[in-house]
Amino acid sequence: MVKTLNRFKTYIKKPENIILITLIIVLTYLVIVPLISIIHDTFVVHTSERMRIRGKQVGEFTLYHWRNIFFGKYSDHIFYKPLYNTLLVSIGVSIIALALGGLIAWLVTRTDLKYKRWISTLIIFPYVMPSWTLAMAWLDFFKNSQIGGVKGLFTALTGITTPNWFAYGLFPIVVVLGLHYTPFAFILIGGTLKNMDANLEEAALILKASRFRILRKITIPIVMPAMLSTLLLVFSSGISAFAVPAFLGSPVRFQVLTTQLFRTLNGVNPGYGYLIGLVMIALGTGILTINQILIGKRKSFTTVTGKASNVSLVSLKRLRGPISFTILIFLILISIFPLFIFAIQSFLVEPGNYSITNLSTIFWIGEGRPDIANGEPGILKNKYIYHALWNSFRLSILVSIIVGILGVLIGYAVVKKRGTPLANMLDRLSFFPYLIPAMAFSATYLSLFAVRRGIIPPLYGTFILLVIIGSVKYLPFASRAGITSILQIGKEIEEAAVIFGVPWYKRMSRIIIPIQKPGFLSGFLLPFISSMRELSLYILLVTPSTQVLTTMLFQYNEKGWDQYANAIVLLIVLVVLFSNIVVNRVTGASIDRGIGG
Amino acid sequence: MPDIVLKNITKRFGNTIAVKDLNLKIEDKDFVVLLGPSGCGKTTTLRMIAGLETPTEGEIYIGNRIVFSSQRGIDISPDKRDIGFLFQNYALWPHMTVYQNIAFGLENLKWKREEIKKRVQELAYLLKIEGLLDRYPSELSGGQQQRVAIARTLAPKPKVLLMDEPLSNLDAKLRTEMRSELKRLHKEIDSTFIYVTHDQLEAMTLATKISLMNEGILQQFSPPLEIYDKPVNLFVADFIGNPTMNFINVKLNGVKAGRYILIHNEVEILFQPSVYKDLDIGEDFVLGIRPEDIEIGKDRGLQGIVYSVLPSGMETVIRVKIGELFLTLITFGRTAFSPDEVCYLNFPTDKYILFDKREGNNITLGNIISIEKR
Repeated sequence: MVKTLNRFKTYIKKPENIILITLIIVLTYLVIVPLISIIHDTFVVHTSERMRIRGKQVGEFTLYHWRNIFFGKYSDHIFYKPLYNTLLVSIGVSIIALALGGLIAWLVTRTDLKYKRWISTLIIFPYVMPSWTLAMAWLDFFKNSQIGGVKGLFTALTGITTPNWFAYGLFPIVVVLGLHYTPFAFILIGGTLKNMDANLEEAALILKASRFRILRKITIPIVMPAMLSTLLLVFSSGISAFAVPAFLGSPVRFQVLTTQLFRTLNGVNPGYGYLIGLVMIALGTGILTINQILIGKRKSFTTVTGKASNVSLVSLKRLRGPISFTILIFLILISIFPLFIFAIQSFLVEPGNYSITNLSTIFWIGEGRPDIANGEPGILKNKYIYHALWNSFRLSILVSIIVGILGVLIGYAVVKKRGTPLANMLDRLSFFPYLIPAMAFSATYLSLFAVRRGIIPPLYGTFILLVIIGSVKYLPFASRAGITSILQIGKEIEEAAVIFGVPWYKRMSRIIIPIQKPGFLSGFLLPFISSMRELSLYILLVTPSTQVLTTMLFQYNEKGWDQYANAIVLLIVLVVLFSNIVVNRVTGASIDRGIGG
Repeated sequence: MPDIVLKNITKRFGNTIAVKDLNLKIEDKDFVVLLGPSGCGKTTTLRMIAGLETPTEGEIYIGNRIVFSSQRGIDISPDKRDIGFLFQNYALWPHMTVYQNIAFGLENLKWKREEIKKRVQELAYLLKIEGLLDRYPSELSGGQQQRVAIARTLAPKPKVLLMDEPLSNLDAKLRTEMRSELKRLHKEIDSTFIYVTHDQLEAMTLATKISLMNEGILQQFSPPLEIYDKPVNLFVADFIGNPTMNFINVKLNGVKAGRYILIHNEVEILFQPSVYKDLDIGEDFVLGIRPEDIEIGKDRGLQGIVYSVLPSGMETVIRVKIGELFLTLITFGRTAFSPDEVCYLNFPTDKYILFDKREGNNITLGNIISIEKR
């Protein structure tokens, strides 16, 4: 008895144990309990469903939602068709991203392509920018007047009316999302190619294998795990994409699971929404779990040594110039050109009229005219915009600080207690939100925090709830960054200070954090950028007083106030790009001295 | 003053036992080496003495003070144990200069600024790093980093210095040099040293006493040459010595005038124990023969064929085949033998050891009266 007590006393004295236990309890409530809550909500009658589900009281058990989603008369319409569309989109997106990203990665790492530095910089743009920027640009450029709007820039310039399938729905969604995730494939595959031991390819070259044969028999099989991983990650991102399908699909009523989830949860049938959310969670976790398993298995035989290599480059010969130039122009088109479109659109008084006389700064600094957009003032004079901007900043900063600190603590505790069941549990718990599609995750929060639960008041509609969900959703980035950073340090560095009796807070602040500053900083800054451009995570949970810039943009777009929407997009993109430059400066500049002793 | 005593120390990690019921008494000013293969619990033992690891059970005393007791719930933190710890990878703080590295611990112990400065200068002189105080660890060579790490460890004048494989990251030449410096340091600073290594040569050359461990269990705790000459069991005999001891599986065929008749296939050995013990006839034993206790010649003795010759200048290792049996022997200087040549072996010393095969325990030392083919 005394022994157990003693053991408990020594256990609780260690900061890593306190961190482990506290965070496991908190994260269980914020990650696992919402899942249980959403499952529960698929089986009960909700307030707005009283009239539909006859003979049942609110809160009573019902199989109505399950029956109607999977086996009902309208199942095709409300569930199977959107599911089919979702899968179609995800497959298309994966193919485009993988083919394009892989091709450019190979060209950059293995051939004598020109403008390599420009290309590797520009290609990251579409990924840094929010996914819906390209969607907005597409609409601005290619929209037609058939749906009942005005014609886009393309029609105005060429006189050709774009067909509906080209302007809206599946095709542009796949193209836009595909382009958005191309950089992702480029980074993953390019990284593997770059770190691949050149000897592997050279050995084959010496054996007189042809270039094509080397590519097919050596290079591709070796980067296969990276490609597979990319495929699955892009696929699951495709499933959770909301903004792009919402912008490009809604004019032709092209529904995917996320848009359907948004419609039903905001409509009269929340039960459907919760169930769709559950299906998405199952899909997302399933796919990414497969990925984790594959990564774990494949690691053992990939011969990616990280040795810097000087592969003899494939000569593109006469095609060198044209290929390099085409890629460069293409990248400029998808990365810089959209910004000009937004800028132009935001200065047009009458949408669709592209003459010089139609230009005005009214949507930026105008006071608002009753004949335009119900007298909404220009975005630089608009208190709602400032309010949303302030909310966005406040939210993203809070989220990044919380996530950054948690990342360090989790990294510390997990590494310190590595291999113990509690450490594994915290590791998985902190990673789990990554597997859940953003909108489905916010549906679980809607379900859990709509009413009072024990001592926790109903948080729906509060700013705090946005902070909480943002922090939990972006935790995986920071906890990964934290774990790798602390792993790199090695426990002796800290123990050397323990021997001198340096207290815990001082070990963290004077030794561990200074050594891995860049790693931890990226744990702060990545969540900030992600949160600044996040739409699908917040849209279900915002109320007029907690609007952020992105949700504001979504509303303006739905109302058809294109100029405002374009101006806001420009604003967000600039903030995001600027933060990204800061990230690169900060993380790149401080690795200069002292690390690696 | 500081005798270090470990009483019934056990350490479990989950279900695996890293150290089992360890009892050890280390005397003041000793240079004790904890030796053993990787995973034998030697580093864990060192870390438990330092207070970096908490034993599951047992008691630890440093000096006359109890620093850990699972029974009484005592666990004194590392900084109050009067110890210094030298890490395998040095664990220098990469973002601090050499001066800051040495001074940081002292600042934390609330030393005065001038005293710190004086102490750092003193150590820099002792360890020949005066010119490096403003550099960062990444700007130093491995040997210099090692010296800085030692200086940092010695700074607060610990009574006990714990070292975890401190030389294993250095190249062979530097290692020999640092080895002699460590031994010199031990003499100069008058502290107790506890040193972990898996390198038996390091242990033999440095230690005043070796504690050899295997799978968490203490095998033998004796001065180096005693461990070499009188290993308590097969594991110790096998672990110490390079090239390793020859082990011949034998059966006791009979006893004649206080001598054992041992049989290995067609070879018959007449073994004179230094202390006679009653052994069961027909039982299996192992006869251990150190390579340097075999003489090789051109006539007279046990006939064999040279299998391989490995000259290294100072000495030559020869492997000889006798029927199915291989024996390794070592001769000083060069040798006239070449592979496939017929040779004759003699066994002139009294350091051959008879082990019990099942338990592996040392039964007795003795000499070989005769060894011949039947």
